[in-house]
Amino acid sequence: MTYFATLRDIAGKKEEQWDEPAATVGELLRGLIARYGPKFGRWLLDKGDLKLAIVLVNGRDVRDLQRLDTPLAPNDTVTIFPPVAGG
Amino acid sequence: MNGWTGRILRINLTNGNIGTEPLDPALARDYLGARGLGTKVLSDEVDPTVDALAPANKLIFAPGPFTGTYAPSGGRYNVVTKGPLTGAIAAANSGGTWGPALKYAGYDMLIIEGRAAKPVYLWIKDEKVEIRDAGHIWGKIVPETSDAIRAETDQDAHVACIGPAGENQVLFACIMNDLHRAAGRSGVGAVMGSKNLKAVAVVGTGAVACADKERFERAVLKVRQMIHEHPVGGTGLRLYGTNVLTNVLNQTGGLPTRNFQDGHFPTADKVGGESVAAKVLQRPKGCFACVISCGRVTKVTQPKYKGEGEGPEYETAWGFGPDCAVDDLDAVTKANFLCNEYGMDTITMAATVACAMELYEIGAITRKDTGGIALDWGNAEAMVEMTRLTGVGEGFGKKLGAGSYRLAASYGHPELSMSVKKQEIPAYDPRAIQGIGLNYATSNCGAAHVRGYTISPEVLGVPQKVDKDTIDGKPELVITFQNLTAALDASGACLFTTFGIGAPELAELLSALTGFQYTTDDFMRCGDRIWNLERMWNLRAGLSSKDDALPPRLVKSPIKTGASKGAVSRLPEMLPVYYERRGWDANGVPTQAHLRELGLA
Repeated sequence: MTYFATLRDIAGKKEEQWDEPAATVGELLRGLIARYGPKFGRWLLDKGDLKLAIVLVNGRDVRDLQRLDTPLAPNDTVTIFPPVAGG
Repeated sequence: MNGWTGRILRINLTNGNIGTEPLDPALARDYLGARGLGTKVLSDEVDPTVDALAPANKLIFAPGPFTGTYAPSGGRYNVVTKGPLTGAIAAANSGGTWGPALKYAGYDMLIIEGRAAKPVYLWIKDEKVEIRDAGHIWGKIVPETSDAIRAETDQDAHVACIGPAGENQVLFACIMNDLHRAAGRSGVGAVMGSKNLKAVAVVGTGAVACADKERFERAVLKVRQMIHEHPVGGTGLRLYGTNVLTNVLNQTGGLPTRNFQDGHFPTADKVGGESVAAKVLQRPKGCFACVISCGRVTKVTQPKYKGEGEGPEYETAWGFGPDCAVDDLDAVTKANFLCNEYGMDTITMAATVACAMELYEIGAITRKDTGGIALDWGNAEAMVEMTRLTGVGEGFGKKLGAGSYRLAASYGHPELSMSVKKQEIPAYDPRAIQGIGLNYATSNCGAAHVRGYTISPEVLGVPQKVDKDTIDGKPELVITFQNLTAALDASGACLFTTFGIGAPELAELLSALTGFQYTTDDFMRCGDRIWNLERMWNLRAGLSSKDDALPPRLVKSPIKTGASKGAVSRLPEMLPVYYERRGWDANGVPTQAHLRELGLA
């Protein structure tokens, strides 16, 4: 797991190994929210669906894959950004 | 008029003539202002084949109808001219407070003609317009220039000026206003320097009239709320600035590294927005009437790179950082400060240093050329020194001042310039993100991300996520973003408002303000009209479809590492579809039927 922007501050760390079971991105995000609380979750899920957060599995945006149903394998790298922009 | 002041100020520096003329309401309706009206005037008055640095070129400063109103972030102006870097039409866009000041002084546009016999500056206070001697400030950097001019005019004067780079006609010199904001790209500052014009200082005491105040106020409150409530416009940009994108692009494999030799830089985080916030940020800062505040007021305390100023924005952090393989944030920030002080576009400056580093890597240039400096990848001190030398116009800086294309071509390697129409490509690798490559290739001012920012859907997912790797639908997406942005630029709004609102809201604001009724389609058609007029001007200047091209590396050499490993740009497949969807022929020439539809034929 790698966290950026506000999520890095809320989690209090840049990266970590996630050892809890998570077969899909949805399960993983719910596990993260359980650990880091609603402050973390408010940037990720809205009524159970993805908001504008950028969630990458091995560099691929899950919104271009199967969104919350995107399957996870044990050695996947997951990167999460809250909604951000620039130019 | 409402929204517009209805007057144009025209100054001929050759003969000293100063005059005003009325703004044609029909032209204002169809071209809005700023980039739009500026393009119309340039198109009508300047031969596109003119030498950009000759007196016959004109320099047009133009705010838009929103500029100076309380429409959210409505404080922008454009500088329109022929760009010396590109030979194409230039429209450099800047924020701050200078544009509103020109409107309050009573002008929708300032047209500069000719060339002064000796250095001068302009002092505009409402009706009073003076051409003043600038001999004593010629050679001064931007902060000294601004201070000196305010001291002898008015402490509240808003100053747009050039630094030594503009005077020396560095081909990517910019015009700085409010010390830290830049009309950045294509070398508009060199045109100002060629006219011996050091600065334009303005104080305005008037106001912008509004057609329907209640309707405008309702529309403003609605869009302010939409921007505030949007997670990106309301929170993300203020906390981390635009440079939060360094990590986003690095993680998605689209962060150009070592002059686009790769799309991933392992230590990019060290120069990203999170590191800026932790190490050099003093406070966020907004421009006139801004509800976003993406600006970064920063300070470096490390003695070697000590300084205070603003930035780095994303493009700057990328350019002086990963594109040069540098991960020293203090050095990157210092290079940004130098660009602001000497008045240079950070994107072209940084990309030109990166190009020089690759020329050094392959042995095309040596220490003999660089004055003994080793231009190795990642050499932060050398990167900062090259920037300084370009600003002061000394040593190898003289070569760098011509931009990467002319530099690389002079050493026999034009293919190592990562540019389109000789203007350097910004911080999104077109191999990793297909739509942005098509936008770069077709941009009328040369490579620019802010002409059709498809990064928004392709990477950020705003307003909706589109797969960055596919080419399906990309020509249509690029055209929509290009037209929307052309109209938005012309209106005087800030591009970042689109992280919360879109064309329907902008059309409503414009209707309430001006009294002309714009539908969403009308607004988008303004953008299409401006885009095609720019295109026609470029074609008359001698550019052609051959110039709608990316450097060969980006269509032939796959990204080597990271999440987009193996990708190349599929521009050749997208370009013919783009031409057709634009209503252009196979050579990229607008058809008469389409021009008639837009009122251009």
